[in-house]
Amino acid sequence: MSDPIITMRGVNKWYGKYHALRDVNFSVKQGERIVICGPSGSGKSTLIRTLNWLEAHQEGTITIDDIELHPKMRKIDQVRMEVGMVFQHFNLFPHMSVLENLMFAPIWVRGLSEPEAREIAMTYLERVHIPEHAEKYPGQLSGGQQQRVAIARALCMNPKVMLFDEPTSALDPEMVSEVLDVMTELARDGMTMVCVTHEMGFAKAVADRVIFMDAGEIIEEADPHNFFDAPQNERTKAFLGQILQH
Amino acid sequence: MLYPDTVQRDPLVHKPKFIALTIFLSMLVFAAINLNGTIIGELMRPVIGEPSESGLFGRLSTGLVLGILFAVNIVLIGFLRFRWQVLVVWLELLALFLSFFYSFDLNFEFIRSKLWFMITQGVFTTLYVSAISIVLASIVAIFGAVAKLSSNGFAFAMASFYTSFFRGLPLLMQIYLIYLGLPQLGYVIDAVPAGILALTLCYGAYMTEIFRAGIQSIPKGQWEASRALGVQFGLTMRRVILPQSMPVIIPPTGNQFIAMLKDSSLISVIGVWELMFIARTAGAKEFKHMEMLITAALIYWILSICLELVQTRIERHFRTQSH
Amino acid sequence: MTLTRRLFTTAAATALAVSATASLAGDAMDRITADGVLIIATSADWAPQSFLNDDNEMDGFDVDVAKEIANRLGVEAEFVTPAWEIITAGNWSGRWDVSVGSMTPTTARAEVLSFPAVYYYTPAVIAIHEDSSATSASDLNGMKFGVGSSSTYEAYAQHDLTIDAEGVPSFSYEVMPGEIRSYGGSSAVFDDLRLGDGVRLDATIDALPAILTAAENGYPFKILGDPVFFEPLAVAIDRGDAELAAAITAAVAAMREDGTLSALSVKWYGTDFTSTN
Repeated sequence: MSDPIITMRGVNKWYGKYHALRDVNFSVKQGERIVICGPSGSGKSTLIRTLNWLEAHQEGTITIDDIELHPKMRKIDQVRMEVGMVFQHFNLFPHMSVLENLMFAPIWVRGLSEPEAREIAMTYLERVHIPEHAEKYPGQLSGGQQQRVAIARALCMNPKVMLFDEPTSALDPEMVSEVLDVMTELARDGMTMVCVTHEMGFAKAVADRVIFMDAGEIIEEADPHNFFDAPQNERTKAFLGQILQH
Repeated sequence: MLYPDTVQRDPLVHKPKFIALTIFLSMLVFAAINLNGTIIGELMRPVIGEPSESGLFGRLSTGLVLGILFAVNIVLIGFLRFRWQVLVVWLELLALFLSFFYSFDLNFEFIRSKLWFMITQGVFTTLYVSAISIVLASIVAIFGAVAKLSSNGFAFAMASFYTSFFRGLPLLMQIYLIYLGLPQLGYVIDAVPAGILALTLCYGAYMTEIFRAGIQSIPKGQWEASRALGVQFGLTMRRVILPQSMPVIIPPTGNQFIAMLKDSSLISVIGVWELMFIARTAGAKEFKHMEMLITAALIYWILSICLELVQTRIERHFRTQSH
Repeated sequence: MTLTRRLFTTAAATALAVSATASLAGDAMDRITADGVLIIATSADWAPQSFLNDDNEMDGFDVDVAKEIANRLGVEAEFVTPAWEIITAGNWSGRWDVSVGSMTPTTARAEVLSFPAVYYYTPAVIAIHEDSSATSASDLNGMKFGVGSSSTYEAYAQHDLTIDAEGVPSFSYEVMPGEIRSYGGSSAVFDDLRLGDGVRLDATIDALPAILTAAENGYPFKILGDPVFFEPLAVAIDRGDAELAAAITAAVAAMREDGTLSALSVKWYGTDFTSTN
């Protein structure tokens, strides 16, 4: 058993008076695939955003790859280099071509040479199946293509963990599967992943563990088989009932 | 755009009532101005007799003729297409404007003899002082904008005090304060650097707001995406935020530069030999001030037009880049 | 946040470093000798005293006198052209060494400047538009006068003129202007007076040579009566450098002695204005 790469212990977070995360305990081991779900406002996005500290927590400890996240830390950029993040709204840099989006951080943060960065970028563009769009700008691509570029951009930093914050919820329905396919392939290749998503099919097929959150708390945590077939908590049942109805 | 309705009506200028009203009103205006003392009065001589003795009748008939000409002109222009309307009206106004200057009985030989000096000394100084100032002001503005947006109270206070002060004082006063005030503190500064400093600080204050708006126009997701890749603040600013803000920042900055080109005339008071200074002094010996002032005015105007054209091109460039 | 703070510290440090290189005002004479340059402040739009000539170089009586002073100090002459108010305000901070700008040594100016040498005297006269019906100064009581701002003519119009020099005939205030309009320079006054009698101005007070030059250039002016006062016109320096003062006094005295001054006056004015006779 390897050490967990992500650990959250007793994490609490408030927005003003609003208690966004309540006593969250949770860990992810190397190679694990975690899916987090829950109703909107349940704190799942907040949780994933505290993992690379786009949001700060106020109580408890978060440790990524043996580095603890706290306000005075000097090495936050090193942590973020190792943690890839994919956003709901892609957040590609619109003034850079696809290739430039991919090469930006490897060159400026990792210090790679341009040919090296280009090679890596092309490798990952092929993995997300859009090498032919390398010279285009994000605005010329469809939503699904943009999200795949965003995934490739995160992968170019060769991260140890990938975080997905509702990667398909801003997409038109017909584009969801192309993104999920890429994520599934990524999971097969052994990438450690934490995904916030409502795609239960994806969860069943890929996840090692599914976590259900409500009102800032982790309500239930189980492997997909138990989670979907024998949920323990009433709130989980209610949520699954709603989401699986159609 | 005013987004006109798709239904096409007759243009206003083709309605008989409007035409009649135009003729009547312009007749009154021309009659009130009384152009019978000019060449127009001479042309009317067959109708009104001796122009200077024609009295109210003469003035009204001249007014009527001019009013009809004016209305016919408007009606004819109304038939043209938009581009041609613009061109014709521009040329007419320009001709009117130049004939107005021409009527001053200017000494063009004198203007020709001074023109080259006005350009090599005056325009050159005006341009380089403005160019250096706008570059420095942009740098000041970046720092000012970052400070104004920062959560650091010290930086915010510095920046907001700075912008408040330099936007609250007349530029002329800032020029005097810097030129005369700094030596009191022991720092003697020459006229040109003092002028550049004053223009930089004043325009830096205005441009701080432009840069702030530009930076704020970039969605938070861009910051987060860059940050999530491990990119530090300065690099994020330089490579991600500012390049995207440019389409928001460049057009008003161009306007600031054009405004600065004209405001730089104020530094003539501390003896910088820029265009305004030359305009005031070059004609002093022969008392040909009008010649020099009008020439300088036209030069300023032409410079502004050129810069506006350049600015349009830059704007277009940024628009196509960030589709 | 920390980065912003770092940026600001750097900026502040740079600003200090730049400003620390500024020079200090000090012994003017030493600097003139060391650099071999005498920096002279004068106007560029006050013909025939000082103006831009057809070759766009500084020229005129004041300019010639200044060049001659520099020549006798054994250095080069260099001209700067700040606004008149900036010259008369004193505290030059070593930006320029002397003013050869036909400045009248008034008591007020003597508080901030020193006047080591009077080099000529001009009659100040009242000028009116040629259509004016006034025949004596008192006819202009209550009328609109235009004068250069911070000039002795303005002070005379305000009945507040004290001339602080030797050998100047006494004068009296012969007119009580109703309204005094102050302009940035003489040329603006002339341009307003030429518009017509009483259109914007009824009269101006200015140096006789300046009025005559304007009249020669087609300005419809006539001179009313005798000069209202004689102004001594002096070289000015910033207060406190006795060595420079002595050098200038000696240079101007020598120029007067050997007739150079008179020759220059005749060259530019057609008359010898270097004495009040």
